[in-house]
Amino acid sequence: MRICRVFTLLAWVAVLLGSGRTVGAQAQEPSRIGVIEQAQAEKVKTLHPYPVSTGERIMNKVEDITVNGGLHWHPFFENAYRGGGFALGAGYMHHVSSYNLLDVRGSYSIRNYKRAEVEFMAPRMFHRRGKLSLLGGYREATQVGFYGIGTDTDKDDRANYAFDLWYGSAMMTVQPTRRFLTLRGGFELAEWNTKPGEGTAPSVDEVYTPATLPGLDSRITYLHSQGTLGFDWRTAEDYTRRGGFYGVTFHDYTDSDDVFGFQKVDYELIQHFPILRETWAISLRGLIETTWLKGDQEIPYFMLPSLGGGSNLRGYSSWRFRDRNSLLLQGEWRILVNRYMDTAFFYDAGKVTRLTADLDLDGLKHDFGFGVRFHTPISTPLRIDLAKSPEGLAIVFSNSAAF
Amino acid sequence: MSRSRFPRLPRRAWLPLLVVVACVALGSTASTQRQRFYRDDPISREPDSQDASATALHDIKSIYEMTYNLFVTADHKPSGERAKNINTIDEVPDSNWFTNRIGTTPITPEQMTRGANVGAPPDPSKWILTREKTAGVHPGFTARDAKGETWFLQFDPPYYDEGATGAVAVASRMFWALGYNQVELFLSTFDPKKVEFDPKATIRRPSGKRTRFDRDDMNAILDRVAKKPDGTYRVVAGRLLPGKVLGGYLFQGTRPDDPNDVVPHEHRRDLRALRVFGAWTNLTDLKAANTLDTLVSENGRMVVKHYLQDVGSTFGMCNELYEWDLSYEHFYQGDTTRKRFFSFGFALSPWQTIPYKEYYPSVGKFEGDEFDPKKWKPQTPTTAYMEARGDDAFWAARRIAAFSDELIRAAVKAGQFTDPKAEKYLGDVLIKRRDKILALYLTAINPIVNPRLDASGLTFENAAIAAGVAKGQPTYRASWMLFDNTTGATKPLSTTDSQTTTMAAPAGLPTAPGSYVQVDISADLAAFPTWKQPVKTYFRRTAQGWQLVGLERLPETVPAAQTLQGES
Repeated sequence: MRICRVFTLLAWVAVLLGSGRTVGAQAQEPSRIGVIEQAQAEKVKTLHPYPVSTGERIMNKVEDITVNGGLHWHPFFENAYRGGGFALGAGYMHHVSSYNLLDVRGSYSIRNYKRAEVEFMAPRMFHRRGKLSLLGGYREATQVGFYGIGTDTDKDDRANYAFDLWYGSAMMTVQPTRRFLTLRGGFELAEWNTKPGEGTAPSVDEVYTPATLPGLDSRITYLHSQGTLGFDWRTAEDYTRRGGFYGVTFHDYTDSDDVFGFQKVDYELIQHFPILRETWAISLRGLIETTWLKGDQEIPYFMLPSLGGGSNLRGYSSWRFRDRNSLLLQGEWRILVNRYMDTAFFYDAGKVTRLTADLDLDGLKHDFGFGVRFHTPISTPLRIDLAKSPEGLAIVFSNSAAF
Repeated sequence: MSRSRFPRLPRRAWLPLLVVVACVALGSTASTQRQRFYRDDPISREPDSQDASATALHDIKSIYEMTYNLFVTADHKPSGERAKNINTIDEVPDSNWFTNRIGTTPITPEQMTRGANVGAPPDPSKWILTREKTAGVHPGFTARDAKGETWFLQFDPPYYDEGATGAVAVASRMFWALGYNQVELFLSTFDPKKVEFDPKATIRRPSGKRTRFDRDDMNAILDRVAKKPDGTYRVVAGRLLPGKVLGGYLFQGTRPDDPNDVVPHEHRRDLRALRVFGAWTNLTDLKAANTLDTLVSENGRMVVKHYLQDVGSTFGMCNELYEWDLSYEHFYQGDTTRKRFFSFGFALSPWQTIPYKEYYPSVGKFEGDEFDPKKWKPQTPTTAYMEARGDDAFWAARRIAAFSDELIRAAVKAGQFTDPKAEKYLGDVLIKRRDKILALYLTAINPIVNPRLDASGLTFENAAIAAGVAKGQPTYRASWMLFDNTTGATKPLSTTDSQTTTMAAPAGLPTAPGSYVQVDISADLAAFPTWKQPVKTYFRRTAQGWQLVGLERLPETVPAAQTLQGES
């Protein structure tokens, strides 16, 4: 009974307290500042560092490598030789000094083409005016197409040859004014060893003889020296929407046996015309390759200028046309889709001739097509071109610009 | 049998106990019921009540942020919610993010030209290089001047002679006046002949290692910048900020290690308003790397101060010369990508045809005739940009309205452009763009501002008419109500109309201190039907008279379609 009274009393006290608290609340009315401070005090209990997701961590690593360097392992998609099909490979780069680096890399293609090489690059010589490349390696191609000499060959006349190649080269590029004017020169020692071809087409040695096809089943050691004089005002070599490149390259191939020595001169002209604030660009390229014999020496069939493949006559098979001289004319109407993607309509035309006097616009082989390119401001990591020629459709996957 | 520490209650004792519990609970409820206005409303400063010493450096990398914003934030659906860092009268209180300056405090042309600068300029008679500049697209160094003070030096690219340095100098003054924390910036001179190299100066090499920074490294940078005929270079020098550097801030969420950062950044009006200020100045590069948090001591407590650090991507300054689409498209947009892909580029976007009738390298591609503030876009969308609503834009536009022609030209003067035509042109364009922003955002919603209630009645102003961007004589209507601050209940009193911005108060207004009235003010003008939506104002009776304690220009939440993003 006493307990009950006590609680009854407590109840009345509580009622009074309750109303008293209301009165007190008015006296100690909460404030806006107090509410914010309370939220800040609550947050103290849950403080933690910035959370970093896996995707963010990976992209940050990529950015670190891109901006700060330090990349070692890298993908390598370059084929041993044109026409080898999709190639996959990897490389390992190691800086031997602040700028100079060594890159060991290799690739293997679906047609069993192999490439392994090591390159030393010194990109910052002569107070940033010169670049040096020392390259050595081995390449092997199993089924390179040969369709005969000249433009009027038949695609059904394809024969295959194979080769392995050991090479070592030194190439220096100098830009005396650090821009525009480009001088390039170098030497290469290369040992070509041609062999019977693999694949579905017959091997060249089944179709030709050394008498009918100079260089068949040969082992040739070349000292290849070359020099380029060029004027380059493109924004970047592998992706640009304006500017141009005009260059002449002289090659001398000296055969150690004095049998297959020759000389070659390439004339190249590239011009990009931006239209309507680079919404479009008309890109044009002309390339003439001419060769000269050294006395009574011959040019082996596999060293002849050629057309056909993913960066010249795109609607034709790689190495489709070969002869002593070649003429290539290309035009692209490039369309800006967004900052990372272009499309393009293109037209290629070209011919190969025995005589330089025949390098005219008669009898050109041609193709046309449409392509999609994914690019950065300076490079074209993926180019997909669909080309149509009288010989059919061809699809090109490449990790560089057409020109 | 277990024994409890508490005595067992007899059954009849339960009833009184329940009464006790209920009364305590009721008392608690009554004391915590949320009031609409607190005694300190409207606040003028956000508090920083907690010590933020535990904050740590966190670098927000640009590629991830850009990718996230282009492909995730771009699909963000605006919440339509009102900004959460505003006070009850729809204003942004001062904070470590923002300080009310123009529009609140008179600013003289001299103050505008000086901007955030309080200290002495650098002494360029000697520069001691300590490090290369890594942030931003324009090259530079970190260096000590002849007085030993550390500065961040930035040069002009050759194609924007005086442009990059001028832009950051001018924009910094403007954003300082707008209320953002800015770095002290001075235009100065860099003479390579007067350069020394700190023995500890290093530069990061492609190998990833840092090695000695030498003259050839300096020359490599100088090769890429605009040189004056006398062999010196124009630089903009930014003073080293005080405090510990914590990295940039994001335009969404909060700093998880800063206890005082409790308002998600996308709901900060000062960050949402960058959609409008950005459009005006063409501040396209809104990213964390252009912001900076520092840990500083304030009133004996360590707190985070937030800087809008790099405002150099303004006016016509692009990342490179042929970047025509900047401010018209994000770096990636699905709609324009599809449009150009399927039309082979023939479906033109505005940036492809807009004429630049005058062009100065020191200004770049910046114009005011074709400018449409609604369509302006930064390089990448940010969540704060997407969350902006009409009342945020109105607030921003009022600040821009406070920039007179004279003040704009005073800010431009800070660019120290050699060509007077360029200086004039930049000022002209900013004036044109200002006027377009005012015409759009001051008229888009009910523009009634500065309501006051006193013995003579209710007075207010019409910001759109005051700015000259709306013509005509609206009819104003005020709906008067008693307002219960505890329950939010209202009791209609009267409705009054006026052809002017003054109207008499109705009879029956309470006189007891602590009482409230709500006055909904609308304006009727045929050209602006949205003005019929009233601005809700709230006044509290105090011993001194009526005090404005509340102003709502738009509801707490608006449909996403009515946000700036939805309307663009």
